[in-house]
Amino acid sequence: MKKRFSKKCITIVGILTLVVSLLLTGCSVSTSNPSNTPAASSDNSTSTVAAKNPYQDAIKIGFVPNVIGDSVAAAWGEGIKRELKYYTNITLQAFDGKASAETQSQIMKDLINQKYDCIILQANDSAALAGTVKEAEAAGIPVITLNLDVDTPHAALVAMVDYEAGNLVAEQIAKSIGDKDGNIVIIQAPPGASRGINVEKGFRDGIAKHPNLKILDAQNGEWLTEKGNEVMRDFLTKYPKIDAVFAINDAMAEGASQAAEAAGRLKDMVIWGADGEKKALEYIEQGKLTGTIYTNCYDQGATAARMGLYFIGALGQIDSSRFTKTPIIKMAPIVVTKETVGSISADMRW
Amino acid sequence: MRQETIRRLFSLALLFTLIIIFGTTSKYFLTPNNIFTLLREAAVTGILAVGVTFVIITAGIDLSTGALVALIAMICARLLYSTTLSVPVILLIGAIIGILAGSLNGFLVAKLKLPDFIATLSTQGIFRGLTLVFAIREHGVISNKVIQNPAFIILGGHINGLYLATIAFIIIAVIGQFILRETRFGIYTYAVGANLKSANLSGINSDRVKIMVYTISGLCCAIGAFFLAAKMQSATPEMGIGLEFDVIAAVVVGGCSFSGGRGDVFGSVIGTLFMAVLTNGLYKYNFPAAYQIIIKGLVIVVMVIFDSMYQKFMEARTTKAKKLEDMYAQGNGPETGVAQ
Repeated sequence: MKKRFSKKCITIVGILTLVVSLLLTGCSVSTSNPSNTPAASSDNSTSTVAAKNPYQDAIKIGFVPNVIGDSVAAAWGEGIKRELKYYTNITLQAFDGKASAETQSQIMKDLINQKYDCIILQANDSAALAGTVKEAEAAGIPVITLNLDVDTPHAALVAMVDYEAGNLVAEQIAKSIGDKDGNIVIIQAPPGASRGINVEKGFRDGIAKHPNLKILDAQNGEWLTEKGNEVMRDFLTKYPKIDAVFAINDAMAEGASQAAEAAGRLKDMVIWGADGEKKALEYIEQGKLTGTIYTNCYDQGATAARMGLYFIGALGQIDSSRFTKTPIIKMAPIVVTKETVGSISADMRW
Repeated sequence: MRQETIRRLFSLALLFTLIIIFGTTSKYFLTPNNIFTLLREAAVTGILAVGVTFVIITAGIDLSTGALVALIAMICARLLYSTTLSVPVILLIGAIIGILAGSLNGFLVAKLKLPDFIATLSTQGIFRGLTLVFAIREHGVISNKVIQNPAFIILGGHINGLYLATIAFIIIAVIGQFILRETRFGIYTYAVGANLKSANLSGINSDRVKIMVYTISGLCCAIGAFFLAAKMQSATPEMGIGLEFDVIAAVVVGGCSFSGGRGDVFGSVIGTLFMAVLTNGLYKYNFPAAYQIIIKGLVIVVMVIFDSMYQKFMEARTTKAKKLEDMYAQGNGPETGVAQ
């Protein structure tokens, strides 16, 4: 009885494996059919899409951030809204990407089916979104990406500086430490996050120019205040002398500042973040944070919206699906310290 | 049997109501393109749901599915990127990893007697970590690559609009339903979930059944991973985060009960389609994003409440009928029956 049962189990596994292999052979037969990838098949249909007048025609714009609740995404959304406020013919719809490339590609696919006129996308991953962005462009929908480029040419990329931001922080830290020996710790972004990788690279390249500065350690703070705090507490127990902290985003820098303050060592070190969110600017005013690299995210959102309108109006004359490279617009970075934080006015803070 | 049919018809009716609501209020919903897209989106969740249905029927749970999908997809992407192995070989490796990972879950639950929730939560961490280990790196940092291999990408393709993933979903669902309903193993699966003790007493090797159901779930993850990676034309370390909950939601909405012994693959297919229709339909309206998530959550809650109420109602009816029957059998039925 037992033997028969186990035999049956093996047969079942066998059947399932067989199905897999059957599927495989089935698929290799259909290799000859070139229309299998939708992106490739609709490549030639682009010229049929007519241009629209952004001032009169009904236009639908989709905004697909990585996560809707994120403060940067919220500021972009607000910036886009401000820019489009005067156009009563335009509907703007935001979708939650749920920090998932799959969800984003699902939404993108839906917006293509719904014949949206333009998509503003903060891609979760440059490789994973390439397929659907290509599809959208081929269907005559210009895609404007925010911050993270996608591995396929598209209408435009509107980005904060990343490598340069890290580099700027490195310069500032080197200036504040001077010729003395300096110990530095980094609170990293999650592995694989390209913005984190680029900012950190810029920082490390900048620090490498100063042989007196040493990077002691680098740990992942997962973009989060709590996690940044935890990592910093660990650094503080491990290293008796820390002169500078660089957290790849402001949220983690805030956590690090709280940890240093609790340990009574805030005075001994400089702490830098990047992004320039509202809370970080307040921390700088209170002297809890040394500085950050500010980007006007409202302006960035508005710029993306303007680019979208430009490509909608230019359809038929400028076909972004034929671009071989993506045009990049980089937002100007502003180095913010206690001295300069006053220049970021209330309506610029996000 | 009749009860089940009524329940089934009811959930089908709900599904069609939803389709009619979206179909009449949005001009984009009932277009061929959208239907094909919807079926494609349902496919990966659905393929996983077939495996998880087996697990949940034995009163177990599998939280590692999303991470396992990511691991297998990443290994496929890695092998495609850094080796010259042919696609069938790579898929075979993926399937074997799925089977091994699934039987590891089963082993932890059945043999080491770990609570299923903890066991599969731990393996979720292990699989997710291994995904990072296998990720493609350039200069020491993870750099996801677009999969270029045409033979692999074809898995994400379609025949006259109908995606291969959807076809695979249908085939796997049919096989799953057959195993569950027509084989002895299927009967054992229900027996283990409905009452473990009596299943053991009646000579069923419940450990083996448990290991098998997790193995089936692992294999389904592998198949799901192939289609997901082919659709996305890449694999990322964050792939499939939260997917396990979508799958469990689909299975539970489809009528499986966490207490085991109830539900089937057909129900899970309806559940998957229901969730896919809901997700897809909500994109068509100008709801703020927050409300889309709230509506989705509410619908799941309502569905599950309905299911448990229906179940209670039916159980009460059965016990009442049985009581009456017993009384009739004792010969003093009519009087006491009326009195009650």
